[in-house]
Amino acid sequence: MRIVTRRRFDWPDLLFGLFLIAVAAGTFAATWRLAGGTAADMGPGYMPRAIALVLLAFGAFFAVRGSRRAYAGIERVQLRPILGVGVSVGVFALLIESAGLAAASFASIVIAAVASRESRFFEVILFGLFITAGAVLLFVKALALPVAIWPW
Amino acid sequence: MELFDNLLLGLSTALQLNNLIYCLIGVVIGTAIGVLPGIGPIPTVALLLPFTFGLEPASALIMLAGIFYGAQYGGSTTAILVNVPGETSSVVTCLDGHEMAKQGRAGPALAIAAISSFFAGTVATVVIAVLSLPLAALALRFTAVEYFSLLVLGLFAAVILAHGSVAKSLAMVFLGLLIGTVGIDVNSGIARMTFGVPALADGLDFVPVAMGMFGLAEIIANLERPEVRQVVSQKLRDLIPSRADLKAAFPAMVRGTFIGSALGVLPGGGAALPPFTAYALEKKLAKDPSRFGKGAIEGVAGPEAANNAGAQTSFIPLLTLGIPANALMALMIGALMMQGIQPGPQVMTEQPALVWGVIASMWTGNLMLLIINLPLVGLWVSMLKIPYRLLFPAIVLFCCIGTYGISNSAFNVWLMLGCAVVGYFFIKVGVEPAPLLLGLVLGPQLEENFRRAMQLSDGDPSVFLTRPISAVLLGVVAVMLLAMLSPAVLKTRKEALAE
Repeated sequence: MRIVTRRRFDWPDLLFGLFLIAVAAGTFAATWRLAGGTAADMGPGYMPRAIALVLLAFGAFFAVRGSRRAYAGIERVQLRPILGVGVSVGVFALLIESAGLAAASFASIVIAAVASRESRFFEVILFGLFITAGAVLLFVKALALPVAIWPW
Repeated sequence: MELFDNLLLGLSTALQLNNLIYCLIGVVIGTAIGVLPGIGPIPTVALLLPFTFGLEPASALIMLAGIFYGAQYGGSTTAILVNVPGETSSVVTCLDGHEMAKQGRAGPALAIAAISSFFAGTVATVVIAVLSLPLAALALRFTAVEYFSLLVLGLFAAVILAHGSVAKSLAMVFLGLLIGTVGIDVNSGIARMTFGVPALADGLDFVPVAMGMFGLAEIIANLERPEVRQVVSQKLRDLIPSRADLKAAFPAMVRGTFIGSALGVLPGGGAALPPFTAYALEKKLAKDPSRFGKGAIEGVAGPEAANNAGAQTSFIPLLTLGIPANALMALMIGALMMQGIQPGPQVMTEQPALVWGVIASMWTGNLMLLIINLPLVGLWVSMLKIPYRLLFPAIVLFCCIGTYGISNSAFNVWLMLGCAVVGYFFIKVGVEPAPLLLGLVLGPQLEENFRRAMQLSDGDPSVFLTRPISAVLLGVVAVMLLAMLSPAVLKTRKEALAE
């Protein structure tokens, strides 16, 4: 996201600061039930909340600094690489336990290849088959990873 | 003569046939990923971690260590021949190494790089052996108070010496510490921040985190940039450098080795900082500094020696104190813990065969690297012809399988995906993810020691300042932080770390 009309804000700083604030807030929300205790006898909530406080301070610092500094942009986010790789990993996670390593590997290779503009269809299919065979041999046969190869 | 006994014990471990084979596997994989730009040692080691579970602890560490220093060798091959640094540590080698290649002296450049690396590796092995004993003896006297201060020093030093903004890196360390607290609290048995996910009860595995942030996020960012790779095809004749070359390179080699050994021990040093320093020194010492950047052989020998020495001596804090100097050493700690070994000074006395075996294996590994790199250099260069469009889907798949393999859980694959997205965000906002990994691995140790120290002192935090060793360690942290605020130091740091 690039804002062209208003040349303000150091976006990397601002976004990183907001991210830290969100993480700190999430931590407080997730641990508010846990007992804090004292420094000599710490409860389970002591450390997470102490660290979250520090993160909150860092986050506020970056957010304020980012909103005061001159404009600095972020390289445009391209959807193709992140979606290709992301979906590929997600499909692998979904298939590995139900469909076995062979199907999961092949699907993951082919989908990941979509992330690059330079991929060619037949090359990817052949390469996918080759790597799938290699992965099965390497991980299941040689390294004895306990995972099913086929869905049946 | 305890030193010799120890080295002999180490050699007897390292020379066992199976350990030699694992060492060879490690250095071959290391060279391969070093040659290939776009995949570094961190995701590779993370990927192989789950499969070292069934190995002997010594074999596992020997192989993983081989990947790390093997990558330094491979990185320089690509730097010299293609002008693309395979690893960050070989950025400097590009300057004069590739210039030599353009002048038709690729052979001597590669040979000098390999010989310098071997020389540095050999010396660094001895340095590790000499320094380890006294350091471990000192560390055995540490209580939780000193240990906590040492961990703090390690984290801060790692942040200050590494690339990037100090404030952002510190924030990343704390983020790592926070993630490290996820899971069941050891003292009370209460689940913290697990959001009801049973897989999180044991805490976040760092392998998916490392692979997501270093492996996948890098791939996504790489794909956004257009591919530039021009392989300089060159006949490699005359691999053997002339006597004049050797004479010019030798002093640089020695200086580089010592700079590398010294900087490698420092937290955050590792393999990235030493070559830059060595190059700057060679340029300063040269009679005619203008030769640098135009194919000066000292500009190859010094940095190459420095990065290998640094890569190896960065094992010293790990082996003696149980503290990782950089993100990769943090993974090594993970490897030890997977084997059921709690890293710390006691490892040295309880597992001498393991520690000395790993140290001695660095020497055998360096010898192997010399052989697989010089005569076989053509093979590695041909690997560069594999296009990235084929390479990256395979890396994605291997990351998935490796992550799944840690505990056969699809949850870890999802976790890796989440970390990849967050890692991509970090790349976009220009933040280094390495400090986060350090924080994540050291977090539990830090919390445990802090708690114990607080129990010892009845909740009085001044104990960290009244104990002498701890006070000195924290004093160093304070001095470093103050120094960072001074403009003069900031400027030198910027210059030293500037590419």
